[in-house]
Amino acid sequence: MANDVTVAAEVSRPQIHVRGAVKSFAGRVVVDVDELVLGERPIEGLIGPTGAGKTTLMRMVMHSIPLDLGTVSLRPPSGVEIVLSSQPTHRMAHYGVVKSNQVIMDFDKLTIWDSLLLSVTEASYEKPHRVFAERSVFREHVEQMRHYLDFFGFGDPTAFALSAGEKKLLDIIRCLLLRPSFLLLDEPTAGLPDDLTEKVMLVVRELAATGTSVIVVEHDLNVIWNLCEMVHFMAEGSVILRGDPESIRENRTVVEKYLGEGHV
Amino acid sequence: MTLDWLDAFLIAGLFEVAMIIGLALLLHLQLGLTRIANFGIVGFWGLGMYAFGVLYVRVDWPFGDPWQFLVCVTLATAITGLAGLVIGWLISDLDIDGVLVETLGFATIVLILATTEKDLTGGALGMGGLRFPFNIGTVKQNEFLWLLIVAIVVVAIFLYVRQVHRSPYGRLLIATGGNEALARSLGKSTYRTKLLLFAFTSALMGLLGALFGVMVRFLDINNLGVDLTLAVMVGLVLGGTARVWGAVIGVLLTVGLFDIIIQSYLPLPREWYTQAIPVLREAIFGATLILVLLFRPLGILGDMRRDKLMEKLHGK
Repeated sequence: MANDVTVAAEVSRPQIHVRGAVKSFAGRVVVDVDELVLGERPIEGLIGPTGAGKTTLMRMVMHSIPLDLGTVSLRPPSGVEIVLSSQPTHRMAHYGVVKSNQVIMDFDKLTIWDSLLLSVTEASYEKPHRVFAERSVFREHVEQMRHYLDFFGFGDPTAFALSAGEKKLLDIIRCLLLRPSFLLLDEPTAGLPDDLTEKVMLVVRELAATGTSVIVVEHDLNVIWNLCEMVHFMAEGSVILRGDPESIRENRTVVEKYLGEGHV
Repeated sequence: MTLDWLDAFLIAGLFEVAMIIGLALLLHLQLGLTRIANFGIVGFWGLGMYAFGVLYVRVDWPFGDPWQFLVCVTLATAITGLAGLVIGWLISDLDIDGVLVETLGFATIVLILATTEKDLTGGALGMGGLRFPFNIGTVKQNEFLWLLIVAIVVVAIFLYVRQVHRSPYGRLLIATGGNEALARSLGKSTYRTKLLLFAFTSALMGLLGALFGVMVRFLDINNLGVDLTLAVMVGLVLGGTARVWGAVIGVLLTVGLFDIIIQSYLPLPREWYTQAIPVLREAIFGATLILVLLFRPLGILGDMRRDKLMEKLHGK
């Protein structure tokens, strides 16, 4: 597995460039990132103390919150740069930029089948005059959906996702079904038992091996050290350090601000 | 066909019930699935009715019925659809209270315009000159045929709405109503979805208004009060906003029960009909709405059952 990732690093992958991005809430600057490139390595981590602005930065990348200043742009391996921060939110998924949610997000009235079908259905089928399209959409994607359901051990897809863990996994599967080229995972394993955390990590590695850039925001640092080839350390709204996991975990500033003595 | 067994009152009552079921089905798409609280139903319905009436009566068409009717009804539906597009655009970013106020405001504008634009609409005096696009004999026979035609339109709306639940489009509507931000992050343009839905359901409300105009053949601004919106809303909420059958059952139990059974078959004093009954109707409908919201907020049929539906469509 690890070998795959090393080989895949040679493949050119999409990158996201953040330039002069500032966001403040009620006069308090929450994010102020001068220059940041995400996606130089297949899987990168973003860590930092609570309130450092990690989630806000991820939301700014997805343009689900507007920027006060600066730009976020996507640089696909081939083709021209796309300024994401001037695009409507729903376009992100069309460009392959997809994010899982830190807080649990679900559709209360939709079953697991519904949730997955919603994710895979192309816009051309979701028109008021195409009310007989259900079966062909299902047939086209059933195999792919079954694959993830079986992998993560979902029993009955006609049911609703009930537990927090199920909803979290469902959120991740929805993201995977969108076939992302740039995947942002905001605390993907929070609230998941160890065996499922392992499975999520396995899927992420497979995805990265096939050319997707992955960014993981996590407080479970074992996930970060195991998964990432590069780690960005964020504190007080800025990315103050970046480097390979070993150098980050031994860095004095990181130890003082975040990890605490004795972690290493 | 003499239709002796059928009194004119019953035809009018059945027509009202069918039309309100149609409106409730459209509101079900707006409110039940997409969570757009349209309190201006009578505005769209009334706009369709008056647009049809004005076009039919005031314009000198070079052709007669049925073409005159078909052209006017198509234009009236399109005009209402355009109004729906504009209102939909105005309410697209508002929360549920904002939507409520703005749609109510729209209905009021329609009422005021119908009252003040006397040259076009006849104002408070009303407007005659409408007629059925066919003539098969007596007034009663014509009205009965018209009832059947409108019933077919309503059944078609019902079958369409039922199919929406079984389609990717319905799923998109439910997702948009349920969690707009999440739907957007999955690549869905919720803004366009809501706009398109609001425009075409409003257009169909306008169509039902135009068809009502033909039935009564006299346009009266008293029809543009809040009564109709209330009847549709109470019917749908009682039956269950999230269910297709909710619209049918709820309207039958409210408008059907009151307008047909109580008004036609209960021996009520004659003098009640002009004054007391309309007031009583509003009071009972209002009370029903309060009681349903207190004790069974999801209506008689309760919430939608996607689990059952998905099992039926795709299996476990």
